[in-house]
Amino acid sequence: MFERFTADARTTVTEAQARARDLGADRIDGTHLLLALSAGGGPAGAALAAAGITPDRLTALIGSSGLDAEALAAIGIDLDAVRAGADHTFGAGALDRAGRRSPRHLTFDREAKKTLEVGLREAVRLGDRSIDSGHLLLAVLRLPGSAAHALLLRAGGDPERLRTALESRPAA
Amino acid sequence: MTDPLHDATATDPATGLRAVRALRELADRLERLQVGRARELGWSWQEIADALGTSRQASHQKHRGTTR
Repeated sequence: MFERFTADARTTVTEAQARARDLGADRIDGTHLLLALSAGGGPAGAALAAAGITPDRLTALIGSSGLDAEALAAIGIDLDAVRAGADHTFGAGALDRAGRRSPRHLTFDREAKKTLEVGLREAVRLGDRSIDSGHLLLAVLRLPGSAAHALLLRAGGDPERLRTALESRPAA
Repeated sequence: MTDPLHDATATDPATGLRAVRALRELADRLERLQVGRARELGWSWQEIADALGTSRQASHQKHRGTTR
């Protein structure tokens, strides 16, 4: 499958791995893929940028590497205050770096693999010979209920408009 | 947003367990940072264990390799 990936789709895959690692994740999941798509320059990055969905926005929504700010707030712990204190004592970003260290090689979780497969099917459906980042984003749109799809909605993405924008572009 | 979470003693186990998990993750990270700093400041594993209320072996095994 990967031999049919365009340069921007390949970059998405490696970027998803880098983003997952930065976030201290132990797997690459759909949200990391979406983040990588938004950070890339291909058709997906362009469509997401046009919709106001930036890597910064998605990163903020994904939250800090496994720390559940909402659950902590509910029991009276202000994670931002804890983070500021940790930054002061241990250096900027210390609390995030203290998250479980990512293994050397991160694997794609089931949903992320599914997204790549559906991306292939999207390319076939559209009669495109190669799979680019636009097909991968279409795959995210095809998987309602997935973590990536939920993240897209939370970021204010409109799946229908994104799909229209992606499908009306010239073939890869 | 309405606050679906009350506290770690919430009646809904899903809510209570989520709070416990969040606390544990935060505590683990702070422990890692504090132990690392204590080692840098020259604390012995025994001193660290006493402060954490664990055994010297437990502290050493848990943090060996993650700190200098």
